[in-house]
Amino acid sequence: MTPGNRPYFEDIELGSEIGPRELVATDENVATFCRLWGNPMPNRFTDPAIAEKSGLPGPIVPGVMSMAIMSQALTDWAGPESLKDLDLVFRQPVPHNQPLLISATVTDTRQDDGENLVECDVLMTGTAGERYVGGTALIALPSKGG
Amino acid sequence: MYLDLHSHSVSSDDSRARVEQYVKRVQFLREKGYTVDGIVLTEHRKFDFDKDYSQLAAEYNLLVLKGSELDTRYGHFLVYGVTEALAKEINLADVRLDARELMQAARRHQAIAIPAHPGRFGIGLVDYMEQGESFADVQIVERLNGGSRAGENERADQLCVEQNYRGTGGSDAHLTSQIAACLTSFPTRIQNEQDLVEALLTGDFTPVWLEDTRQG
Repeated sequence: MTPGNRPYFEDIELGSEIGPRELVATDENVATFCRLWGNPMPNRFTDPAIAEKSGLPGPIVPGVMSMAIMSQALTDWAGPESLKDLDLVFRQPVPHNQPLLISATVTDTRQDDGENLVECDVLMTGTAGERYVGGTALIALPSKGG
Repeated sequence: MYLDLHSHSVSSDDSRARVEQYVKRVQFLREKGYTVDGIVLTEHRKFDFDKDYSQLAAEYNLLVLKGSELDTRYGHFLVYGVTEALAKEINLADVRLDARELMQAARRHQAIAIPAHPGRFGIGLVDYMEQGESFADVQIVERLNGGSRAGENERADQLCVEQNYRGTGGSDAHLTSQIAACLTSFPTRIQNEQDLVEALLTGDFTPVWLEDTRQG
């Protein structure tokens, strides 16, 4: 590991697991996110009646917030400037106030154009196996050789 | 042999896994002691007539077959042995196919259509049967699905027991790391899609978890 407790490229093996990290996106978290995002409230992310009118079971976590949550899990592991690409598919509405599990699995490692790249599958799931969001991430890591 | 009968490559709009990545992942699983002999790419609402994975399959000594996962008014159906003649008779892209017609058309063209993830809440065959629908041509269902939520495979189990259906297994992989989470064990050697259809028609197969294939 680096002095900042971040992994080196050489530490990573195919199949390595990152996480799972468990967190809950509370009503308050979502409202704060919407305020910072500039999304006028109430909206389908914060208000049960508006969500229901949109055909949703309840207020949902905004897609861009889910993306931020998953990005943060990866950058906390690999460093703030490590994330090169994140390609996600939103499969189910992400609920408020429920445990969310963020995990990743290394599927490829390669050196490309001077960068040490790690490709991962990344998932946001529920505790009953719900696949909320899934996709791939490309992460650049430092080498022990500098 | 152990085949994953349900997977999606980037040819399906909601998958992010290339076939090459699946094949390499299977090599990784083999190195860890698991047995995976083949995968079937069951792309959503289509059949990739123009795609040929035989060279890749030979390079990695892995069977790579093609099928479809089609949308019907009674849930998703996996179709094996798709031919151009079947694709002319059935609009594979139709999201409201008649499941009964699909099953019969498949058999007329030496293919087979089976319900995918029948225990899935809200969209699985179990829900439609509970509403009074009956499906005389169903004899096989996907009993183990790697993408199931808690309780969904159990519903499929119960359906198989109650209706005396045979059950398959498939990962429903949309990402590389999900391939081969569930498989189907066949006692016979399968080399192509038609062999697979014939093996399914014999009823001699069982669904397994990846862990069940581990050697030693």
